Amino acid sequence: MAEIKLSNLTKRWGDFVGVDNQSLHINDREFLVLLGPSGCGKTTTMRMIAGLEDPTSGEIWIGDRMVNDDLPKDRDVAMVFQNYGLYPHMTIFDNIAYPLRVRGTPKADIKPRVEKAAEQVELTEFLHRKPKALSGGQRQRVALARAIVRTPKVFLMDEPLSNLDAKLRVTMRAELKHLSRALQITTVYVTHDQIEAMTLADRVAVMKNGIIQQLGTPDEIYNDPANLFVAGFIGSPAMNLINGSISGGMFVTTGGTRLVPVKALDRAKAVLGVRADDMDVHEEGQGDIDVKIYAFENTGESTLLTVQWGAQRVIARGDRHLRKDQDDVVGISLNQDHLYLFDPETENRIRM
Amino acid sequence: MRDNTLKYLLVLPAVIVVFATAIWPLIEAARLSFTVGRLNRPGSLERYLGWENYVWAILEEPAFWNSVWVTTIYTLLTVGLTTVFALGLAMLLAPGGRLRSAAQTLLILPFAMSPALIGVSFRFMFNPEFGLFDAFFGVMIPPLADVSWLADPKLAFAVVVMADVWGWIPFLTLVLIGGLASVPRDTVEAAQVDGASGWRVFKDVTLPQLAPVLAVVVILKSIFSLKTFDQVFMLTNGGPGTATQTLSHYIYFNGMKYGQIGYSASVAWLMVIPMIFLTYAYAKFVFRKADQ
Repeated sequence: MAEIKLSNLTKRWGDFVGVDNQSLHINDREFLVLLGPSGCGKTTTMRMIAGLEDPTSGEIWIGDRMVNDDLPKDRDVAMVFQNYGLYPHMTIFDNIAYPLRVRGTPKADIKPRVEKAAEQVELTEFLHRKPKALSGGQRQRVALARAIVRTPKVFLMDEPLSNLDAKLRVTMRAELKHLSRALQITTVYVTHDQIEAMTLADRVAVMKNGIIQQLGTPDEIYNDPANLFVAGFIGSPAMNLINGSISGGMFVTTGGTRLVPVKALDRAKAVLGVRADDMDVHEEGQGDIDVKIYAFENTGESTLLTVQWGAQRVIARGDRHLRKDQDDVVGISLNQDHLYLFDPETENRIRM
Repeated sequence: MRDNTLKYLLVLPAVIVVFATAIWPLIEAARLSFTVGRLNRPGSLERYLGWENYVWAILEEPAFWNSVWVTTIYTLLTVGLTTVFALGLAMLLAPGGRLRSAAQTLLILPFAMSPALIGVSFRFMFNPEFGLFDAFFGVMIPPLADVSWLADPKLAFAVVVMADVWGWIPFLTLVLIGGLASVPRDTVEAAQVDGASGWRVFKDVTLPQLAPVLAVVVILKSIFSLKTFDQVFMLTNGGPGTATQTLSHYIYFNGMKYGQIGYSASVAWLMVIPMIFLTYAYAKFVFRKADQ
């Protein structure tokens, strides 16, 4: 058990900057998710913690030890790989036992510990098989068991669920969460899936172009995004971003509609962010603005209305019993407690 | 034309070539091996002799067994040494290895040389008077000055082995680089994180996954080693005495120099036996891999 400190960590390959001078403090027993699109530096950051990649500059601390010069085997971390990294020539038992064997665990201890780990991930009946004979979800469990069979200082998980089908991913996500609560070990988890980040994390670090855009609890990054990137990246459907200006305490769309009052100084260019859930759908004439439906989608649990809003399209979420059709006109009102203003030039949030 | 007929027609030229250059000579050699088959005796190529040539080789001819022994030791040594060196080099040159870039291009050079050329150049390098090795060893290790490398049976054998290993390392290295590239990086990294040292990662994870390719390398090199002729012919011509006389060289000598075509054909057929085993093993390995 240990905290992880990254200070001024940088990774460059020639001119390409993978991770750009980032500092991050991960608390003991914390579940931290590194979230971002591919190529944002999240996996590189994790691989540097594991020791599989050498930082160009900066320091990595695990507990009270600077591990920059330690080999992966000396860092006392366990890692789950995206493609599982199982040893194809070994049985499941041997796969799980491998970290114990190479660390010189007494033979008598190995069997009970492997069996316990296998039991935790419900693999007991497959111990004599080879990885080839298992399904994707089962292989994933083997990778997990191999990580939990000893008690490392840190768990590192590199997109562990991304190779599973959608249904299995949901089940495994819950199992991971349960397991991580039970084990109470500092975990760094890399994903590009915001649902995984939201559901698993104590804190999320949203990354882009090698820079952490925002570090906060899932609540904070969802409800209090620091900039346009985080606002657009988190949430499904993505936050609606409406171009316009602020004049006399009102947000005016580029089409000239005086939309909603905002507490901000006048400015020529601004972006209004509003989530689909923070828009209410009414009958024609009863909302803040009347709009024509471009597409009506019924997902079962709710309805999604893509509406034509001047030159832009905006998505609003409606009640699951709402029934409308393309080209119908509906009234939309915005929940004024949950509006976000951004500066389109700096992409930063304009605090109200 | 039906697709089925066309299929066989397209394969036909290759079949004809293989038949004309491999199958027919094999059959003809088999026929000759049962004849008196002496080039200097008219009509003897047709005179049937039964198994006598084979019996003679196996029971009466120490030179045959000498060349079997030479070939065996030679094959074991060259296969072992070439594989080990090639594996080491492949590890260094593989993507992510410690040496790469220009070294890989340079490496192919020995393989581009013909075996006969290798033989000639090694013969010059080991020349006791003006050879490169003589000059080198003479300066570095004085006791080794003026050693007649190719005149001493053991040393000559070592030189032949060395020339062969040197010539074959590049090709096998390239094959093994390919093999290493197919070992998933995840598994190697998983082992590193699991706590394995560099040696244990190699032994527990890399090597077992490389085994099929390694097997192909060993079998292929065994076939090549068993057939070795050119280097021996150019470097030592089988000598001193018969210290470096491989089976191929023995067959050539008896057939071409002494004119005993029938006898040498029977020895050649004796040599086909291990070849068939190796070829079968090779085919099995290669096609088993393709099945997976």
